[in-house]
Amino acid sequence: MFPAGTSSEPRTRITLGEFIGLTIAGLALGAIYAIAASGLVVTYTTSGIFNFAHGAIGMVMAFVYWQLRVEQHWSAPLALFVALLLVAPAIGLIIQTTLIRRLNPNDTGMALVVTLAVMVALMGIAFTLWPQTQGRLLPAFYGPNAHLSIGGQLITYEELISIGLAVATAVGLRLFFYNTRLGISMRGVVDDRQLMAMNGRSPAMLSALSWAIGAALGGLAGILTASTYSLDIINLTLLVLNSFAAAMLGRLRNLILTFVGAIVLGLLDAYVVGYLKLTGWLVHLRPVVPTLFLFVVLLALPAVHLRSGTAAIAKAIRIPAGARSLGNGVALVVLAVVVAPFLHGTVLGNVNAGVALGIGALSIVLLCGYGGYVSLAQYAFFGFGAWLFSEVGHGGNPVGLLVAAAAGAVLGVIVALPALRLRGLELALSTLAFGQLAYYMFFLQPEVMGRSDLAIPRLHLPGLSLESGDRNLIFLTVVFALASAGVLALRRSRFGRILVASKDSQVAVATLGLNLRLSKILLFALATALATFGGALYGSTQRLVTADNFQYVSSLFIVLIVYVYGVSTPGAALAGGLSLAIAPLLAVHIPVRFQAVTYFMTGFGAFVLLGRPTGIIPAASEWLHDKLPRRVLHEPAVGTVEVSRAAASDA
Amino acid sequence: MTALDNVSIGAEGGVVTGLIGPNGAGKTTLFNVITGLQSPSSGRVSFDGDDVTGLSVHRRAQLGIARTFQRLELFGSMTVRENVQTAAEICELWSRKETPARTRTEEILDRVGLRAVADAPAHTLPTGLARLTELGRALATSPRLLLLDEPGSGLDSAESGEFAALLADLASEGAAILLVEHDMDLVMQACAQIHVLDFGVHIASGAPDHIRSDAEVRRAYLGEAVEA
Amino acid sequence: MSAHAIELIDVHAAYGGIEVLHGVDLVVPEGSLVAMLGPNGAGKSTTLKAIDGRLVPTSGCVHIAGRHMNGASTKQLARAGVCSIPEGRGVFPNLTVEENLRMVTQLHADLSMSEVAERTYARFPILGNRRTQLAGTLSGGEQQMLAMSRAMVSDPSVLLVDEPSMGLAPRIVAEVYEVLRQLAAEGITMLLVEQFAQMALSIADYAAVMIQGRVVTFAEPADLGDVAGAYLGASA
Repeated sequence: MFPAGTSSEPRTRITLGEFIGLTIAGLALGAIYAIAASGLVVTYTTSGIFNFAHGAIGMVMAFVYWQLRVEQHWSAPLALFVALLLVAPAIGLIIQTTLIRRLNPNDTGMALVVTLAVMVALMGIAFTLWPQTQGRLLPAFYGPNAHLSIGGQLITYEELISIGLAVATAVGLRLFFYNTRLGISMRGVVDDRQLMAMNGRSPAMLSALSWAIGAALGGLAGILTASTYSLDIINLTLLVLNSFAAAMLGRLRNLILTFVGAIVLGLLDAYVVGYLKLTGWLVHLRPVVPTLFLFVVLLALPAVHLRSGTAAIAKAIRIPAGARSLGNGVALVVLAVVVAPFLHGTVLGNVNAGVALGIGALSIVLLCGYGGYVSLAQYAFFGFGAWLFSEVGHGGNPVGLLVAAAAGAVLGVIVALPALRLRGLELALSTLAFGQLAYYMFFLQPEVMGRSDLAIPRLHLPGLSLESGDRNLIFLTVVFALASAGVLALRRSRFGRILVASKDSQVAVATLGLNLRLSKILLFALATALATFGGALYGSTQRLVTADNFQYVSSLFIVLIVYVYGVSTPGAALAGGLSLAIAPLLAVHIPVRFQAVTYFMTGFGAFVLLGRPTGIIPAASEWLHDKLPRRVLHEPAVGTVEVSRAAASDA
Repeated sequence: MTALDNVSIGAEGGVVTGLIGPNGAGKTTLFNVITGLQSPSSGRVSFDGDDVTGLSVHRRAQLGIARTFQRLELFGSMTVRENVQTAAEICELWSRKETPARTRTEEILDRVGLRAVADAPAHTLPTGLARLTELGRALATSPRLLLLDEPGSGLDSAESGEFAALLADLASEGAAILLVEHDMDLVMQACAQIHVLDFGVHIASGAPDHIRSDAEVRRAYLGEAVEA
Repeated sequence: MSAHAIELIDVHAAYGGIEVLHGVDLVVPEGSLVAMLGPNGAGKSTTLKAIDGRLVPTSGCVHIAGRHMNGASTKQLARAGVCSIPEGRGVFPNLTVEENLRMVTQLHADLSMSEVAERTYARFPILGNRRTQLAGTLSGGEQQMLAMSRAMVSDPSVLLVDEPSMGLAPRIVAEVYEVLRQLAAEGITMLLVEQFAQMALSIADYAAVMIQGRVVTFAEPADLGDVAGAYLGASA
């Protein structure tokens, strides 16, 4: 996401002076990226956890600075000191010690989701403390007119400050990591945590420190961005994506390459604005410059080798037998039949949308729950499915659904291909980049759904009208029940077992002769087909959609919510879809100030995951299972006690 | 650092070949090189006369190379039966089998003695049984070369006797078995031919009795010849 | 409490639910060197981990200098004078030699960098020539020497060494053992895990033989008999 504000004026001829001006502007932006990205790298290398909330911390710090500087009228140096050297490190420390410390870096999915939750929770806090109904401006450090003039070009002090601070950060980090004992131990702890403890320094303390430093750097970047561009919760939060693109050049580990990446990104931005005519379909090119840069970097990175010894001990989740899952489906449909007549108007519409989203969200269960790959582009697939259905599903022709699914499968392969050689984290972030690309370069195009609402026909089955909302609800519920029975059947199939086995140990399945790349592609194709299928149904349910329905940020929310409910459970997809669709309805009934409650609920809900990694639904059903007497459930108990007894008798 | 220096080791069908040597001798590295998890800086790996050095891990497996791991690589969220069955099913993807995977799974469970724990989640198993599960999984691909990385650790002496018999039985069906093991009783009992690696160098090979009395081997294991 | 530097009483320990130590009893008298022998997988390294805090025993007692130490962290134990040199070179490969030595100075407030460097380079001149080189680029022997320097300069109350000979050429092993011999001569209490029995026994006061998660023999080297059986099979 790009800090909005300066609009692009296409220029025809560029003089040398203008080139210098563009370069300085690019360097200044690159400087901010560099500061943000270096914070990300410091945290990641030392603690092994990619901090999705990095941008959100920067955002909160920008608002804290605004609070101190503007509301409390503190002087800039004092406000900066308190914000960056007291509050930001404290936030970093709190996050690390309460949450991050309990994460296993090898569990990419969980690590991503928990930091994502922190991000969402921080956004909720910001929306509550600093409602966006009020406009806020952060004063420039030297006022709007303070500038130098070089070759006729105006260079603001702000730009110079950014560049100067980036240089200072680079020098400071270099000195800290190479010339102080503490800094050296932060480099050393990456090699060997236990050996660091044997040298009398606590690795946990070093991780915590890295989060404190990371938060301070994120805060600095946030304040600089806010004072140069605007004080906007979402834009500042998504700064993390741009700094990630820069850090990826150094594979999240190398600070020098990270700085290079950041500067290149900043310059690219300036030159794109300066030299390209950003009209027509290129009108939204600017925000996706980092994304395109990221794709190039990802393609150029060498493949990662299979490593043994990283197998995680995963907790098995009961997979309901075929009859049982069918029973659940029937019960769900009966529920829909009973409830449908009582729902009307917007409520009915939103519930319908929720069930349709739930169908699409089943793709998350397939991909993340069974396959272990986190995809952050589901809304792009939903949108693509909806658009396709509007194009080919004339008169609500159901063949359009199949076309959407088939095209989705192809799209899934295209998305999976560049990420095949990469680790889970890189894959997840490249899908997010894809989602962003789809939003800006596709959905926002006037021909697609950028300018006006896109009309999508309601699905029409031969002999069955779905025009009325209650009928549509029953139909969608039937589809969801069938789709989730299908997903469960897949889990019980050979392919399902192979998926889960690959998640448990990639090395083992490869040495048993499985072509991992092929199975990964197949999984992506299947899951994406399901997502576009659900998206088509969603579109057909909504009838009118705009690009706003498929904001790429929504992809983060839905993954987060499905994880919270239980990412290996199809029911979680439905619960997730419904939660997302119904939340806006609730918002109407609560005071504006507390509308951020959905952020809170989502964010803090994810903390549940630390205690119950399998999610709410499996935990609840396990609890029920334990409470109900055994004979009611007729399930044989297999536990460790039996195992050890069997082992003994076997010996 | 060179973990393996100019090692040439062969394993023949129908025989259990032992590979022993002190810690850090490069035995697991050798297995990784054979299965393709690591590439040799020089040299070749050939299998049945064909050069497989450039092939990917799964291609080599499809040619008939299977292995177990010293650091266990079980499918922890599955039961023992599912571990074996999934392996059999992966095998079905690349090789035509007469008998269905489920049937072969049950045969293997009986053969390696995992019947009693077939429904136990793999991550709850004691080491000995966990290693047997990995063996069962490897057998599900009907390998022609079986690489076993310390399968004996975690077995008591009675179990290791049974295990040696099982290995002999497997070999008699024509597979080549390469066994890395520290339990010398097991090695001496099961292997017809033994190679000794020390410090990445192949220092001896021969029949068990020969190896037992070999001075070089005693030095490698006990450090006898080293003068301070 | 006794004057034993280390005392383990019925220590059980497990990795992820799988027990590997089934009740280890062991005494390391103050000022002595105990060599812990036994085949791989017997639990020797695990025993060291239970002492230096890398692994918390599931039951039993770990006493160090008469104090109950179960559950103390590796860092606390390190600062209390338990110096542990893990198997496979206890160095940070991506730090330079000098930076590695600087890590050692974290152990005591009064340990100065110049003193640490001086003593290390005096004992191992080769490290002095490589002070700005990354430890990962050193030869195996040089890395082991660098690891040993922590023991040499930090004046530990207890020194735990895990397979110092692993993967080293015999000549280098002899050099490493010379250092261990000197440390023992200075009166440092030492627990040495080694697979090369003869070499360890040549400097040990006592030997403890571990088999399948238990210490089965504890004796002076002369009274030990033939340990080869434990390694090369009972019939050897």
